[in-house]
Amino acid sequence: MVRLLVGLKARLTWNGFRNDLQRRVGLPVALALLTWTGIWLARAHYETASLLQDTNPQAYANYLAWSALFLFLVWVTLPVIIFPLDENLDPQQLASLPLTPNRMVTGLAAASLVAPSTVVPLIVIGANTSTLSGGWWMVLPSAIVYLGLLAVASQLFSAAISGILRTRRGRDIATFLVLGLATGSFFVYRSVSRSISEIGIADSALSLPILEWWLLIPPVAAQKAMIEAAAGNVAPALLALTAAAAGLVVLASLWRNLLGWLLTTPAQQSKPASRARKGGMATGPWGVIPTMARKEFRFYVRDPRQRLVWTGTVIFVGLAVGGAVMNATGFFDLREREWAPLVAPILVLFVGLPIALNLFGWERNAASYLFVLPPRPHQILLGKNLAVATALTVETALLTLGLATFTGQWTWVWLAIPLTVAAIGCQLAVGNLVSVLTPLRLPREGTDVFAQSTEQGCLAIISQTVSFFAIGLLLVPPASIVVLTVEFGQVLSPWIAALAAIGWGLAFYCISLFLASRLLRRRMPEVLAWVQVV
Amino acid sequence: MTQPLIEEPLIDVVETPPAVWAKGLVRKFGKTVAVDHVDLSIGTGEFYGLLGQNGAGKTTTIKSIVGLLRPNAGTVGIGEFNTWEHPTEVKSRIGVLPEEFNLYERLTGAELLDFTAAMHGLDRQEAKSRRNELLDMLDLVDAGSKLVGDYSRGMRKKVALGAAIIHRPPVLFLDEPFEGVDAVSARLIRRLLQQAAQGGTTIVFSSHEMHLVEKLCTRIGIMVAGKLTIEDTPEGLCTKMGVDNVEDAFIAAVGGKTPDSSWYVS
Repeated sequence: MVRLLVGLKARLTWNGFRNDLQRRVGLPVALALLTWTGIWLARAHYETASLLQDTNPQAYANYLAWSALFLFLVWVTLPVIIFPLDENLDPQQLASLPLTPNRMVTGLAAASLVAPSTVVPLIVIGANTSTLSGGWWMVLPSAIVYLGLLAVASQLFSAAISGILRTRRGRDIATFLVLGLATGSFFVYRSVSRSISEIGIADSALSLPILEWWLLIPPVAAQKAMIEAAAGNVAPALLALTAAAAGLVVLASLWRNLLGWLLTTPAQQSKPASRARKGGMATGPWGVIPTMARKEFRFYVRDPRQRLVWTGTVIFVGLAVGGAVMNATGFFDLREREWAPLVAPILVLFVGLPIALNLFGWERNAASYLFVLPPRPHQILLGKNLAVATALTVETALLTLGLATFTGQWTWVWLAIPLTVAAIGCQLAVGNLVSVLTPLRLPREGTDVFAQSTEQGCLAIISQTVSFFAIGLLLVPPASIVVLTVEFGQVLSPWIAALAAIGWGLAFYCISLFLASRLLRRRMPEVLAWVQVV
Repeated sequence: MTQPLIEEPLIDVVETPPAVWAKGLVRKFGKTVAVDHVDLSIGTGEFYGLLGQNGAGKTTTIKSIVGLLRPNAGTVGIGEFNTWEHPTEVKSRIGVLPEEFNLYERLTGAELLDFTAAMHGLDRQEAKSRRNELLDMLDLVDAGSKLVGDYSRGMRKKVALGAAIIHRPPVLFLDEPFEGVDAVSARLIRRLLQQAAQGGTTIVFSSHEMHLVEKLCTRIGIMVAGKLTIEDTPEGLCTKMGVDNVEDAFIAAVGGKTPDSSWYVS
């Protein structure tokens, strides 16, 4: 049965590759990028481990333990913090088959490894093995247990988030949970990099001797098995492997029980009707464009993923800015800069990007509903842009005022307004064209995250990265003119700089709106085909 | 010489285009031809049943006419407007009840109706009053403040129908409107459609419920493997096929076969 499920996953991947142009492009690109990432990580790991092996064996062992735990945590949490890139088998579809829970869990775990992303741990495990000087008999069993831990823990974590999202309260707190994870990761990264830069990698590895806790941490136990085998200690190596395997069994049984509950318990319905909902949309601004914008706003609030984009990015950016202002993150000190509050509009680049660059992807299958309605393409785009621009303006205003308050630099706060217009104009200009030309398919709407697929390999990441740089490039002239005016003694009248920034943003937006509307008129069926989730 | 009851017009009658039309419509998916040179002409006020087995090309034909799927060849349109040349004009004249309920799941029923009304350019008061009438008529008053995502299948179908007709379109496309709907809701939908037809609305209706097709449709077209093979009134179809009901006529037209009844017990 395990072989059947692995075969099914391989067949689905192959069929998708053969029959879908998006996947034919996405899969090789994804494989190339992931291989490059794997080699980059493996090389860094190999060089560090080799250095420590020669100079400080104790630190070396601890470093290996830390690296095993680091890869494990990244593998488990990344698909939830960022949208998962791989298609997983849907347990719901398997539930009616005569499969025992144990077989289903084993099969799903094994099948989840039939994915391009598996290339990363495989390369890193290879590099890890090559740093050891013996104990080759342990390489295969410990690598299998470690890969099993990656697969099972990742599925367990995603299923746990799914379980949380099934409850009404869970849906409310999910944003903060995932946000907490992202923020926590940022601070862990900062403290680790600070520790390494201050006391060196050897002392950093020894400052928290995680290897002593191997019995409680299965991925560390798997790594310890390899370390002990390399040192020729057969019994401790076998003991560590047994501990890792026991951890794998515990995680798998937790996942099995959770899966059983998920498959038999329906999701809780949304909140009881509020007074606002009873009023429909007939109260408030009316007309095609305002109503479209209001519809978008409702989705920003009611769709947990969109809510996460808006709340998550702004808080994350806020933390980064806060850290910079307090000089707590090792960046430059903003407090003495007169232009400090003007950083906020530039940070708009980071906020709401997944929505601004994929206006139709968020419609998912409802795009077919929208596209049989009569509004003209420019009205649809204007409505969606109005919603994004309003949300961005609110978030930029909060950031600007926050920065001005913390730094005490109020002189040039008013210039944040033209700079915001320029920034939002540039973001929407690029966003409209990207949304029409390369819309991205998002996971199925609903609350399940454990059986969803974007099926586009790394196209999402490539598209967003390129667009991000395009927006950045467009923003260079208005940002430069404003910041240079402030920083270098007003070589240009601030009013002229403000007008230039506004003109720049509006000009690019208008050109993009004109082009994107014409493109959308011609490409509606294609956009629909790209965003619809099968 | 007796005078005719209806006088001949003195000037030539200007030929009005059909309410729904397709000329040489072709749609392929890779090597598969889903719709193969379909010519369709549906007059104003007709209740037209588009029938066919699964995969015969009914949904593809409807999607091409309403502007959701670009034809590989041929032209389609509503009245004097070609769908692909005047999409806005076409879309403002049609209401669509799709086979899959691709509705906005995170809007309430009332919000969905309001949103649709606004997109069709109805003014606020008119939209509000039509929304309330529809929710009442479709027995969705209590559910109007619930999210569409929390609706049952029947409720979704009803709210989708409400959204399709809120602007009182002259042409309605209904893809499987009775599929998965309980008897009470089915009767309600049927009455609503009959009312619309009596009011002169052109209805293009795709369904596997043959007794309803027989009861409702004024003309039937049967698609087989992407081609429109037969078009006639229900009575004409039965006569042509030498049977006494539309279901038998349909099965005869598509060449359906009865499975070997002994397979299960052998």
